[in-house]
Amino acid sequence: MYLKSLSLRQFRNYDQQCLHLSAAKTIIVGDNAQGKTNLLEAVELLSTLQSHRTNRDGDLVLNGETTGQIHGILERQMGTMELGLTLRRNGRRTVILNGQTQRRYLDLLGLLNTVRFSSTDLELVRGGPEQRRQWLDRLLTQLEPLYAHIWQQYQQVLRQRNALLKSHHANSTRPSQEELALWDAQLTATGIRVIRRRSRALARLSPLAIAWHQLISGCRETLEIRYLPNVKSETDHLEAWQQAFLVKIEERMMAEYHQHTSLVGPHRDDIEFTINNTPARQYGSQGQQRTLVLALKLAELELIEQIVRDSPLLLLDDVLAELDLKRQNQLLEAIQDRFQTLITTTHLGAFDAHWLRHSQVVTVESGRIMTDQQPLILTPNQPHHSNATKI
Amino acid sequence: MYTLPLARLIEQLQRLPGVGPKTAQRLALYILQRPDTEIQALAQALMDAKEKVGQCSVCFHLTADPICEICLDPTRDRHLICLVIDSRDVIALEKTREYRGLYHVLGGLISPMDGISPEQLNIQPLIQRVHRERPEEVILAISPSVEGETTTLYVGHLLKAFTRVTRIAFGLPMGGDLEYADEITLARALEGRRELD
Repeated sequence: MYLKSLSLRQFRNYDQQCLHLSAAKTIIVGDNAQGKTNLLEAVELLSTLQSHRTNRDGDLVLNGETTGQIHGILERQMGTMELGLTLRRNGRRTVILNGQTQRRYLDLLGLLNTVRFSSTDLELVRGGPEQRRQWLDRLLTQLEPLYAHIWQQYQQVLRQRNALLKSHHANSTRPSQEELALWDAQLTATGIRVIRRRSRALARLSPLAIAWHQLISGCRETLEIRYLPNVKSETDHLEAWQQAFLVKIEERMMAEYHQHTSLVGPHRDDIEFTINNTPARQYGSQGQQRTLVLALKLAELELIEQIVRDSPLLLLDDVLAELDLKRQNQLLEAIQDRFQTLITTTHLGAFDAHWLRHSQVVTVESGRIMTDQQPLILTPNQPHHSNATKI
Repeated sequence: MYTLPLARLIEQLQRLPGVGPKTAQRLALYILQRPDTEIQALAQALMDAKEKVGQCSVCFHLTADPICEICLDPTRDRHLICLVIDSRDVIALEKTREYRGLYHVLGGLISPMDGISPEQLNIQPLIQRVHRERPEEVILAISPSVEGETTTLYVGHLLKAFTRVTRIAFGLPMGGDLEYADEITLARALEGRRELD
């Protein structure tokens, strides 16, 4: 898939700007706080309807305005489509596909697939379990847009169950067994759906990540990815899962009363990475952790490509500078022209000259996008769309 | 900007669901242009409706009488009770003219977040009614949201001891093409598949 253009209106620090993406790789240069990441965030929003930076649409709208808009023209094998998202300071957002407002958000999900790789991803191994869950859930939404619905339902059950536990804490009473059992059943039903899908996605991703990891580390190390669901079942039968949930809920009942929050379910899952049978989180060196995250990201690209049967976009947010030259080259070699890539950076110095020649370079300065550097970078016999056609 | 009585009218209208500042202004200015008699009739209708319309003592549907028309109708099938969330659902089902049984209006969904527990809904009166009237079947017509499912689960469990409990099918809209159905509906329709009669 190929994103041809991205238009922003009153989005973050952009008043009205349009970016035409004319090469397989676009390098966005600018000083800090000029709006580079905002561009990638806009692409991310069209892709997943979520931003990794905020949950509030108000943050996404230009200061002093009430609505913001993102619009993108996407070329896929099945044809060209226009994706639109209107964000409001107060009120619900609107998703628009080919000029038509869609009733469900789900209708926009899964059309534009992206893999985001930012410097915060380097914390994926060392950071808390929540980061790893978010990473997996984001991938799952790309692979199976329906997962967004399944996850929302689970969260709604969780909110309701927590409200029940809290309300009785406030009145120093215990919730009726009957009412709690009701929400236990819902937690179990929706929780099993989440666990099964997470487990399936990791099982698919794992061999790809292991292969990439071996390649990058030069076969010296063996990676293992293990899903650590909060509720474990010996077999994958529905009854076994239900039983496992009930047993665990029973076990944690007293703790739940005291902490008045739900302690059982996939909102407490984790994913463990081990290198040569040692947890990467505790023992991996910074270099080892970076190799691991790089392998995960490459595996994500490959898995989405396999399942969606179209190549996703890669969004590299300020991350190349964080990788050493060897890993940079491995990443760039793996991408080549196969995946449209948007890269943000503060300086072009770190880029290979040959590589720069094949890229579109744009400069961002306080909410303005300038493409005037482009003719300097592209050689005269390199028409704008030459790279685009390879996608 | 507005003279005080007009500002008050706009403010009141704006409290209505689906009415924003612009619509409220338009309605208020329209009201000012109408003859006195018409506005008196409107005001009277508002007061009357509020004063006279209450809930049916049997099924909790909106009615001006102690017992609603549907419950009093001798031609209705008294072996069937359809459980719905509010009176709007009764009206929607009545429009189909397919259903000839009775109703029971629950008055909401179980939702701890909104402070709604089963005791606040018309569930106890339903149990008593089923116990008393012994219908052959209770049909649960509750939307499949998280709260709807939970309420269905709860009520279904309680009623099973007394009677046959069914729930309406969820699935594809009539005249709709399979390819245009969304994934959630389709998954739901697959779950609820049945033998070809």
